Amino acid sequence: MNSTEYILLILGMTLVTYIPRMLPAFLIDKMRFGAKSEKFLRLIPYTAISALVFPGVFFVDGANPLIGIIGALTAGILAWRRFPVIACVLASIAVNFLQYSFL
Amino acid sequence: MSNSNFKTEFINGMRAGSPIIFGFIPVGIAFAIMARQAGFSILQTCGFSINVYAGASQMMAVGMHNQGASIFAIILATFFLNFRHLIMSTCVFERMQPASSKLKLLASFGVTDESFALFTTEKEERCTIAYFLGMNCVMYTSWNLGTCIGAIASDFLPVIITASFGIAFYAMFIALLTPNIKTNFRLGILVVLTAICNTALVQIIPPSWAMIISTLVCAFIGIFTVDLDSKEEPANE
Repeated sequence: MNSTEYILLILGMTLVTYIPRMLPAFLIDKMRFGAKSEKFLRLIPYTAISALVFPGVFFVDGANPLIGIIGALTAGILAWRRFPVIACVLASIAVNFLQYSFL
Repeated sequence: MSNSNFKTEFINGMRAGSPIIFGFIPVGIAFAIMARQAGFSILQTCGFSINVYAGASQMMAVGMHNQGASIFAIILATFFLNFRHLIMSTCVFERMQPASSKLKLLASFGVTDESFALFTTEKEERCTIAYFLGMNCVMYTSWNLGTCIGAIASDFLPVIITASFGIAFYAMFIALLTPNIKTNFRLGILVVLTAICNTALVQIIPPSWAMIISTLVCAFIGIFTVDLDSKEEPANE
């Protein structure tokens, strides 16, 4: 890819990524939310995170869904027992390293 | 906001963002390896991460380029893939305490799946722009550091290690969700419903659209089925 093409590509990708990220920061002050809309916005994090995890987590390893499932269970169990986020992340990485080492 | 408050909140944000390091550095390396293999130079590879700062679309872009896609097609696909950030950014800034326009211009650059998930599940009183910027300082640095390492030394890490880090994002998302589900059964049901809905939808429509639709539809259902204020905080906290 030559430089002109590359600059156009990066410029285009940067703009179409940045604009949707930036607009709400300035529009939100101009909007008034009712109780229902506010509840809707407060629920989105939970539904969005769920959609980010499922079904993607089953395909962490293209060939073996167990890799993702066992790694996810590790994080879930530790988080249930109120371990900090970073401990959950490190433990699931370690468990997956063991899975790759022995499977 | 006084300067010392800003500093404390910024540092708290950096601490909250630290689990991301284990996700962003390895994935940054993986992206850089893909980009180098697709024929991008070291500088061009780093340019993606510095300017675009969106992992999935960067990988898609170098993949599409490798298959001979036009620049316009790649930009259009990026737009569709990253459109979900419009919704995420709305939630982030709705939750954030008032801040100056300049800082908001800077902070909104850092709205990613990961910063959104961390910030919007944080206690409301901690949701300041300094906290969000601190979080993003760690994330942006990790992403670019990973890209840099990968671009320079494409194959210095054994596959088994990079593969093991693939779970990092999912582990973080799960760790953020679980405590909330634990204390709110109906919210847990809604999360399961969203998971089923999204898993079904990706069979029939592109994943970026499936995610947006299942997020919005299920959050809408939640308005009538979930009570967000009924959370019982466990006694041991």
